[in-house]
Amino acid sequence: MLIDKETRYDRQLRLWATTGQSNLESSHICLINASSTGSEILKNLVLPGIGEFTIIDHRYVSSRDLSGNFFLKHRDLGKGLAEAISVNLNELNTDVKGHSINRNIRAILEEESPEFWDTYNVVIVSEYISGLDILKEILWKKRIPLLIVNTVGFYGSLNLIANEITVIETHDPSRLYDLRIDKPWPELQQFVDSIDLDALDDTDHAHIPYIVIYIKALDSWKQDHNNQAPQNYNEKKQFRKYIESLSRNINLEANFIEASNSIHRALQKTEIPNSIQKLFEKVNILDENLTSSTPIFWIYIKALKRFVELNNYQLPLPGKLPDMASDTTNYVKLQTLYREKAKRDQELFTAEVIRILNALGRSKDEISNESITSFCKNSQLLFVTQGSKKLYTSTLVQELLDNTNESNKENFNTLGIYFSILTFNLFTEKYRRAPSLKDLEFFKMLFIEEFMVSPPVPSAIEATFKETLSHNTRSYHNLSSLMGGVVSQEVLKLATAQYTPLDNLFVFDGVRSISEKWKI
Amino acid sequence: MSVIIDQRDDSSVLPLLNNIGPYNEVPEEYEAEEAAVALSTTKVLVIGAGGLGCEILKNLALTGFKDIHVIDMDTIDVSNLNRQFLFRPKDVGKSKAEVAAKFIEERIGDKDLKISPYFGKIQDKPLSYYKQFGVVICGLDSVEARRWINATLVSLVDTELNNLIPMIDGGTEGFRGQSRVILPTLMSCYECTLDLITPQTTYPVCTIANTPRLPEHCIEWASVLEWPKMFPGRKFDADDPEQVEWMYQTALARANEFNIEGVTKSLTLGVVKNIIPAIASTNAIIAASCCNEAFKIITNINPILNNYMMYSGDDSIFTYTYAHARRANCPVCGNFAKTFTAQNWWTLERFIEEISSKQEVQMSQPSLTAASRFLYLRNPPHLEESTRPNLSKKLNTLIRGGDELVITDPNLPISLKLTVEFTGPETEPDDVNSSLM
Repeated sequence: MLIDKETRYDRQLRLWATTGQSNLESSHICLINASSTGSEILKNLVLPGIGEFTIIDHRYVSSRDLSGNFFLKHRDLGKGLAEAISVNLNELNTDVKGHSINRNIRAILEEESPEFWDTYNVVIVSEYISGLDILKEILWKKRIPLLIVNTVGFYGSLNLIANEITVIETHDPSRLYDLRIDKPWPELQQFVDSIDLDALDDTDHAHIPYIVIYIKALDSWKQDHNNQAPQNYNEKKQFRKYIESLSRNINLEANFIEASNSIHRALQKTEIPNSIQKLFEKVNILDENLTSSTPIFWIYIKALKRFVELNNYQLPLPGKLPDMASDTTNYVKLQTLYREKAKRDQELFTAEVIRILNALGRSKDEISNESITSFCKNSQLLFVTQGSKKLYTSTLVQELLDNTNESNKENFNTLGIYFSILTFNLFTEKYRRAPSLKDLEFFKMLFIEEFMVSPPVPSAIEATFKETLSHNTRSYHNLSSLMGGVVSQEVLKLATAQYTPLDNLFVFDGVRSISEKWKI
Repeated sequence: MSVIIDQRDDSSVLPLLNNIGPYNEVPEEYEAEEAAVALSTTKVLVIGAGGLGCEILKNLALTGFKDIHVIDMDTIDVSNLNRQFLFRPKDVGKSKAEVAAKFIEERIGDKDLKISPYFGKIQDKPLSYYKQFGVVICGLDSVEARRWINATLVSLVDTELNNLIPMIDGGTEGFRGQSRVILPTLMSCYECTLDLITPQTTYPVCTIANTPRLPEHCIEWASVLEWPKMFPGRKFDADDPEQVEWMYQTALARANEFNIEGVTKSLTLGVVKNIIPAIASTNAIIAASCCNEAFKIITNINPILNNYMMYSGDDSIFTYTYAHARRANCPVCGNFAKTFTAQNWWTLERFIEEISSKQEVQMSQPSLTAASRFLYLRNPPHLEESTRPNLSKKLNTLIRGGDELVITDPNLPISLKLTVEFTGPETEPDDVNSSLM
């Protein structure tokens, strides 16, 4: 049966569109450890059509593996674990290329050159592996994001280790619109001036879009207030009253009712957000630091900095309008004005980008119209973060101990879950087996030594240790599936280069059904 | 070598049952053996075999549940394949419940695991059917079906709290979702939180008819105004490519006439089918959370969610867990009537219009009864006929302020109690007529 992709992927294309989908289809994900959680992660990536995946595991399928893993069949017993899961997952979507490597990760790390990892866009480690520190170093240098996921019993944790993450299409959930009411450009001002509210008949008057009303109202307000927009709560209230007074009947004119309700749009200041201002101050965009290998994102930031210097410290106009009460003609006219200005801004921005690329001897083939448009539309909402390759810091340990004092009465500590999982892996490394409740004293000692905590272990932390050790299964399927879903969401965000990823530690507590996150 | 196996290894679940952790709420009474028996004998009902349902069935089968029932009235569509992993292209058109049940049974390969599918509506089954279950898990995309099962489960509970069947409900949209636990009559029920649901986007008819601005307005014009005009009496079928094409072309022509950009086939489908974006990852998270709660409820191994968890993954990861309070005047689990203020000049018909669209009522075909008389009934036909003249009468001539009304709808096993108070002028104010459409 021939199935067109647009229909098959319809429900996800509505989230990340064809640009996100083609990024996804050109991504290669590597999973180390063919665990139940790992299989669930890949299931959620194979279904939406990730390009390729590779599973690294040297073990053979045992009946224990079958217990919590849906992507193993009885007849797989005795086969290579990585290969069996890879084949079963591939049934979900034949467009995806599944690979398996039946080798010990430790051996790969010792025998292969770092270039071995170049083919992967994201690497996932599920549960404990030997040689994690070596892998972390390699991927950090190569700027390949590494996700480390762990589940024990009802608990789960996820670390996202990435040198730097930059996102252009963040899909701003705050629904900010940049309307430039306070700083209309000449064409917009001309359009507003061409409308004489008093000369309109009642029907037309009730259909003038609020952008026009705001710009006119703000103009005359400023004339009466030393050229200042409304400053404080009181003035803003007065300004709203003034807008309402411009209406012929504020109970009936839908456009003025809307204008009064959306007053924050009129008072929104056209300025460069702090988060973007900070990017302009980064040393990596100083002229002397730009090179032939500077990521295109930072070239864009450099160009953006020049753009605002040449354009009254205003960012490129996104050009998008919200719906508003209006007749069709005026709305479409406004829409055209905003779009044309956005297009002009994009052209000026492109010129800056090309100028920088030329100076670096780089080709302008590195950029496309789509990526420029997307960057300009999102230039207020860019997400940039610098990560850490550490699994914990002394600050985090301090926070763990501080939390404990406060929540002692309740006898739980969510950060304690994370340290419990870290200690669980340490124990596994040291004794070559998973700890159980009878190992509690060793477990506590290991924790005290590793994280340099002075004994005794606070009772809230000890309680999380006990919970972890009593229910020490690493393949309780509900937790595997839940954490698998969380990790795959993060991979989708990284692979499509859309939406804001985790930054950078997440812990889920399936006993209390809550989660928390931290930045290491 | 061939080994005959009739069961999966339970090593992934046993450690959870065999040891009592520090958070177990009933450590004195807890018995590992009892918990294991409860898991393998409790009948679980899964409502919905779609994105959440496929995940729920897999999770239950891998965590020791053996007697699972699943209901779904839908058949498999191509657009399900990006997340409903129990279905293959060859299954398109078949019953979701039946294909899912068969797939799980074959994959798990356990002679003790029984998954009983029902291809039909939840409303087909009698109350006695629902009484057999130990827990009900819903993975539905319909508000109406959730209200129905919620009201049904609440109605089963008697004064001694017999037949108290926990309901676990999940829902997703894009990167977001929520899961919740309802212990009927003890905790806030689905109906208590009806006002939490984001109302479906609607556009005023005058915008659609006279001043379209968005591509959506043009599509609504084609579907709400033009379709009934061109094909009177015929219901639009969004699964028929020819009809979808007509809708798209009609909307596109409208958009071109008004210079509106952005009408596409995908948007047309999205608007007419009210499509909600969906991915496997989010379904996995929410379904697993629901099944984790079911596992804890049945085994008593750890405390259960009290009672609502929101998940959002589009802006980093964020969850919010809280206890939603019961609503005293909830029509399903509460005792008190709600108060509703009507204008003195309203006719019964106007009153019905006003209440049906209220967020906390949401009834499409309400029938109204006052303490002493029927005000308006949709069925049977002879009562509809005899009560129809009331529609044009003023409400304050039919009942008095402070009277209690009972409102029912054939689609919901709910009777909503409403106390009506009157206010305002006796005649309709003039200026409301001077509409600015």
